[in-house]
Amino acid sequence: MFNKKNIIFLLVVVLMVLFSGPILAQDTIELDFMHRWTRSPDNEFLEEVARRYEEENPNVKINVTAISNDPFKEKIKIILGTDDAPDVFFSWPGEFTNRFIREDRVLDITQYMEDGWKDDFIPSILEPFKYEGSIYGAPYRMDAKVFVYNKEIFAENNIEIPETYDEFLTVLEKLKNAGVTPISFGNQAPWAVSHYIGQLVAYNVPNDVYEKDIRPETGSFEHPGYVKAFEDFEKLTPYFNNNPNAITHAQARSNFLNGGAAMTYIEINEIPEIMRDREDLDFEESFNTFKMPFPEGAEGNPNYLVGFPEGFVVSANTEYPDESVKFLKYLTGKEIGKLEAQKTGFINGIKGVVDKGDVTDAIYSSSQMVLETEKLVNWFDSALHSEVWAALRVELQKLTDGYATPEEVAEVLRETAADVREDLN
Amino acid sequence: MKHKKFTPWLFLLPAIIFIGVFVYTPIIQNFYYSFFRMNSYSQKSIFLGLENYIDIFTDDVFYTAIVNNVWYAVISLIFQVGLGLVVAIIVESKFLGKKSKVFFRTIYFLPSVIAISAVGLAFYFVYNPSLGLLNSIIEIFVDGNYEFAWLGNPKTAIFAVIAMSQWQWTGYVAMLLIVAIQRIPHELYESAEIDGASFFQRAIHITIPLIREMILVTSVITVIGSFKLFAEVFVTTRGGPYGTSHVLGTYMYETAFFHDKMGYAAAIAVIIFVITFILSILQIRLGSRSD
Repeated sequence: MFNKKNIIFLLVVVLMVLFSGPILAQDTIELDFMHRWTRSPDNEFLEEVARRYEEENPNVKINVTAISNDPFKEKIKIILGTDDAPDVFFSWPGEFTNRFIREDRVLDITQYMEDGWKDDFIPSILEPFKYEGSIYGAPYRMDAKVFVYNKEIFAENNIEIPETYDEFLTVLEKLKNAGVTPISFGNQAPWAVSHYIGQLVAYNVPNDVYEKDIRPETGSFEHPGYVKAFEDFEKLTPYFNNNPNAITHAQARSNFLNGGAAMTYIEINEIPEIMRDREDLDFEESFNTFKMPFPEGAEGNPNYLVGFPEGFVVSANTEYPDESVKFLKYLTGKEIGKLEAQKTGFINGIKGVVDKGDVTDAIYSSSQMVLETEKLVNWFDSALHSEVWAALRVELQKLTDGYATPEEVAEVLRETAADVREDLN
Repeated sequence: MKHKKFTPWLFLLPAIIFIGVFVYTPIIQNFYYSFFRMNSYSQKSIFLGLENYIDIFTDDVFYTAIVNNVWYAVISLIFQVGLGLVVAIIVESKFLGKKSKVFFRTIYFLPSVIAISAVGLAFYFVYNPSLGLLNSIIEIFVDGNYEFAWLGNPKTAIFAVIAMSQWQWTGYVAMLLIVAIQRIPHELYESAEIDGASFFQRAIHITIPLIREMILVTSVITVIGSFKLFAEVFVTTRGGPYGTSHVLGTYMYETAFFHDKMGYAAAIAVIIFVITFILSILQIRLGSRSD
């Protein structure tokens, strides 16, 4: 069997395989794609997007990696420092992405957008992806924060949706006196409190001051509106459940859904998730939403809403910038947007991607609310420089428990912002 | 026959290269990085000299972390070594039959083989303020709802984590001591019994002196473990609330990956290294004396 002929034949076969490998590889482009959705159906949907793209572009292979939310924040920082940065990856616009832009880790895609691609997007949803005049990413889903309330509990206690912050506090007091937990709040991971603060800062601080402050090079946070925002938040703390810092947002949310509280503060993107997870509930029948009421006389803008879009960016170190941007365009485009709305309930940033009736009323109306908003304001955690947020989140948890005063919190904010400013200048 | 001289070196070489690349190089690099301001995703790094160290020694959280490590060490010595010793003596005593000895050994040892993430998750539920096992037990004795956030209260968080570790490791240390006790010759106990020594006297005058070395070694291991602590805190409180349950390990992690201060984290790592290095030398000395 092992005669010369057979061995030569085998050798030829082996050599053919060995040499054809690199030739094939030259034709196929491999793109690494990293996102932060590990749960069904969101992760399956992105997997499907990758497979569809591969079918339409046979020379491209997309390697999809999904890492869940909190670890993603840590891992992406590490991997961007190596040569193996993913070509296309998820990122939160604002300071979270800006720090990578400052280190030349994110590709400037302005020139690609010039051919009219830019005009496909709703301007307010694309806006957050700009940094110093250039565009660095594209939105995958829009988002905003609202109070969702239990209609039955509101009706039982004769409660109307509050129009002002004072009315809101009256409602909370009334509910508390009736023996109901007014607001279900889980702040173990303190991004939850940053959503309250983001909205209250937008209401209490003039936008030009805010924009200057969230730039780490110029941030001073001396405006009295910040203290006012912390005070407004402090007024809510008697109406939360016990120990908000000891429970997670998910626990607080299910407590609310089970009738354990009158309200909770959620992202509109959580609505489709709730509808899927809790088939026992009729969301539209049982619940409704309202924007956080505006504190009368505050110096900010009552038409601003906390809630930033999320999206994808391209690595500045990618071997295939053109191909990566092409995939980004597909991923955040109209065709995928329509499918995305159907399968995940997320609405991306393209104009006219859903009409009434395409998605459930709750999802449609909340997306309309985002579109009608004058300006979207970033979550306070992703708006701030990492060192500033690291210090502030500790203080905000203390404020939630009554261990710190609004003035003390503002003091820490001013001090750490000053340290960072000094380091950067 | 000159080549024979190099033969042992040849066999040692792979291990030396392996340890050199994966252990010693990172340690040296870590010392170097601790003098810079840098983060993981940047090519730029700024030389600071000793500034990171100066900052650390004026950082309140750093002191909180050190104090927590010391608490962990002290409580672990009392429970794991102290209580573990009592458990070992009783389990090895004549009061128990052969079968019950095996039974108790297994029962006490079992927690130490469970992965820390599973233990952390289990205790996270035990300590849960509204549904947790611990509060439910307390509710039997007090009227009405008892909702205490063991992991969410700055006064109790670190102690709740330490308590979890005692549950997990006391049996393990007891096991090490049991092995030492089993090596004591039976004749000593027999003659002591003939002399009329009580159980308590036998424990004090025979068992403890004869396993002194093992007690010392387990003590040092326990203390070193207390300063290398990371997972126990990370899977339960992540240093919260407000940084009060941080230990050096978790604070290092937090400064590296949340504050984006890699140089600062490296400096904390150097401090952890120095502490554990000194303790390790102590351990090696004690270990060599026992032979």
